[in-house]
Amino acid sequence: MLLEVRDLVIDYRATRGRVRAVDGVNFNVPAGAVVGVVGESGCGKTTAVRAITRVMPSSAVFAEGSITLEGEDIVQMSDREMRKHLWRDIAYVPQSAMNALDPVWRVGKQIEEVLVGRGGMTKKAARARSEELFAMVGLEAKRLRDYPHQFSGGMRQRASIALALALSPKLVIADEPVTALDVVIQRQVLDTFTELQKQLNLSVILVTHDISVVAYVCDYVVVMYAGKVVESGPVADVLDNPGHPYTMGLYNAFPELGGEDRELSPIEGSPPDLLNPPKGCRFRARCPFAIDACLQDPPEHTIGEGHVANCHRAGEAGELREIAKRTETWVGVTSE
Amino acid sequence: MNQPLITVEGLTKRFDVSRSFKDVFTGNHPQLQAVSDVDFTLAPGETLGIVGESGCGKTTLGRMLIKLISATEGKVMFDGKDISEMTRTEELEFRRRAQLVFQNPFDALNPHFTILRSLTEPLHNARVPREEHGQRIAEAMSMVHLPALEHFLQSFPHQLSGGQLQRVVLARALVLRPDFIVADEPVSMLDVSVRAGILNVLREVRDTMGLAAVFISHDLALVRYVCERTITMYLGAVVEDGPTAAIVENPLHPYTKALVQAVPIPRVDQSHAPLPITGGLPDARNPPSGCRFRDRCPLAEARCAAEIPRLREVGGGRRVACHLVEPA
Repeated sequence: MLLEVRDLVIDYRATRGRVRAVDGVNFNVPAGAVVGVVGESGCGKTTAVRAITRVMPSSAVFAEGSITLEGEDIVQMSDREMRKHLWRDIAYVPQSAMNALDPVWRVGKQIEEVLVGRGGMTKKAARARSEELFAMVGLEAKRLRDYPHQFSGGMRQRASIALALALSPKLVIADEPVTALDVVIQRQVLDTFTELQKQLNLSVILVTHDISVVAYVCDYVVVMYAGKVVESGPVADVLDNPGHPYTMGLYNAFPELGGEDRELSPIEGSPPDLLNPPKGCRFRARCPFAIDACLQDPPEHTIGEGHVANCHRAGEAGELREIAKRTETWVGVTSE
Repeated sequence: MNQPLITVEGLTKRFDVSRSFKDVFTGNHPQLQAVSDVDFTLAPGETLGIVGESGCGKTTLGRMLIKLISATEGKVMFDGKDISEMTRTEELEFRRRAQLVFQNPFDALNPHFTILRSLTEPLHNARVPREEHGQRIAEAMSMVHLPALEHFLQSFPHQLSGGQLQRVVLARALVLRPDFIVADEPVSMLDVSVRAGILNVLREVRDTMGLAAVFISHDLALVRYVCERTITMYLGAVVEDGPTAAIVENPLHPYTKALVQAVPIPRVDQSHAPLPITGGLPDARNPPSGCRFRDRCPLAEARCAAEIPRLREVGGGRRVACHLVEPA
C-alpha cells in the first residue's frame, strides 16, 4: 500500500468553537491506482486529501490519526522532512487551475522554478524537462513562454498537471481537476490524465463531486458525508451495488444521458452543522431508511471484497436499493 | 401551429475587443462576433435547451432574448413585436412577461435584502397592487417548494443554503407570472444532491404553468431532463436544432456527436473511445473560413473551407448546418 490514512481527525479553529471537518476517515491508496473521493461541498473531502500534503490553513489542527506514506507517518514529520516529500513524492493539483499558476510569471518559468529549486536541476536541464512535460500533456513547447491568462481553461489545467508531474511524484492529488471545464474539454483532459497515469504508473487521488467522472477514471471510490466516510470500495461494486443510502440517493439525483428518461429525486434537506454534529449516523435526518438504531454510531459492514458501507442497515442493502430507486421514497424524508 | 411567442431572425451580436497598438495606428476596430445569424422560433409553453461549450455565445444569445443586451443585427420578436422598438409601456409589460434566472444564486440576490423584500421588489416594479403581494408571494413560494413562513421570508441570503437560494431566485422570476423565462446554467453552482430538486421544479413549472423557457447549459444530460427541443451552438452559430430525444439518440452534426459522446455517465461500463474531435475552440476574433467547425471536424473536406453551411431542414423537425448531412 502506497498510502494509508487511518482514523484521521482534522479540526478547524473557528470563533464559535472547533469545527470537526474530517472525523475519523480511513482509506488506502494502492500503488498505481486511481482513488476517487466524492461528496458534496463541505463534506471534508478537500480537507482530508489536502492533509496529505500538510499544506493547510493555520486554523487547521491535526487532532488524531495517521497518514502513512510508504511506512512513514506524514503527520509526525517535521516541516523540514515533509518538504523533501512535496513535489518529489506527493504533488497537488489544486481546485482551480488559475490558482495553481502565478499570473505574473510565464508558465515555463514556474515549471523551471520547481525543477531547479526542488529538483536541483540545472537551468538547461530544467528547460529541456519543461518541454518534455508540455509534450506529455499535449501542449506546444512554444506556449512555455506564455502567461497563464493567455491559456484557455483546458490548457491551464494541462499546464498544472505538467507542473504536478515535474519531479515524477509517486502520488498525485487532484482536487476537482475538471470541474470548471466544458464536457468536451473535460473529456480530453481526463483522457490525457489517465493515459499519463498508466504510462507513469502513478497513484492518483481524485477529488470530485461528480460520480460520472469517478466512473470514467477511478479504480476505487471513497464516498464522504459530513466529515465521515460512508462507503468505500472498488468503483464497479460501489456504483452497481451501493450499500449506503447516501450513495443510492446520489445515483438517483443524477440525470443520465444514456438510458431511459427517469424521474430524478433530490436528497432533501442539507448536511448537518459540523460545529454541532448529531449523534449516531450523520445522514439520519435525510435518510428514508432511518431506524432507532441510527442514533448509535453506524458499524462498518463489509459488503464485498474491499467494499465497506458504514450503515446499520447495510445488511439489507439489496432490498433497500430497490426501494431507493423509487422517486417517492425520497419525498418528505427530512424530519426537522 | 399556433403563433410563436418568440421569433428570432438573423440575430447577430458583435462586441468591440481591445485594440492593440497596431490597430490604433492602422485605424482598425477589431470585433468579436459572439452570436452570428441565429434564427429560430419558440412556441408558447415550449422549452428549448441551448447547449455548447463556454464561449459559444449561448449566454449572449440568452441575454439578447430578454433585452439585457441589444442586438447588433437582426431582431427578436416577442408576441409579434420587435423588442428593440417597444414603447415604454410595452417595455414594462415585456419586462413583466420575460424573466431571467441567474447562474450563481450566491450573488443573484441582494445580501442586504430579506427574502421577502427580494420577492416584493419585482411586484412593486410591475405596479402590482399591494394587497395582492402576499398571495402572489405565497403562490411563487409554493411553486418552488419553499415554506412561505414568516421567519423564512424574513431571513437574509447568507442564512440559506445554495439550493434554497436558487429556489428563491426562481421564485423571484415566477412571482410576476411570466410567459417566458431564460435560465442560464441554473444548477451549475449547486451540489449534485440538490440539483435534482431545482430541475424537478423547472419541469413542474413547464408542465403546470405553460411557461416558455430557454434553458442554457453545457450539459446535455441536464437539458434532456428539462427540454423538449434543443439547439446546439458552436462559436456563435447554431449548428443543430431539433427535438431533444432525437438529438441525443442520433446527433447529426459532427459537433453534436462529439458533445453527446463526451458526456460522462455514472457507470463503469462506458466507452473510453477517444473523442472524434481534438483541440479547443478557435479564436473567435478570427474564426475559420466556411464552416466554423472545420478545423476540429473529422470529416472536413474542401467544400467546408469555401462555403458557410446554412442551417437547413433535414426532416423530423430537425435542422442541421453541415454540408455533409443529407436531408432525410
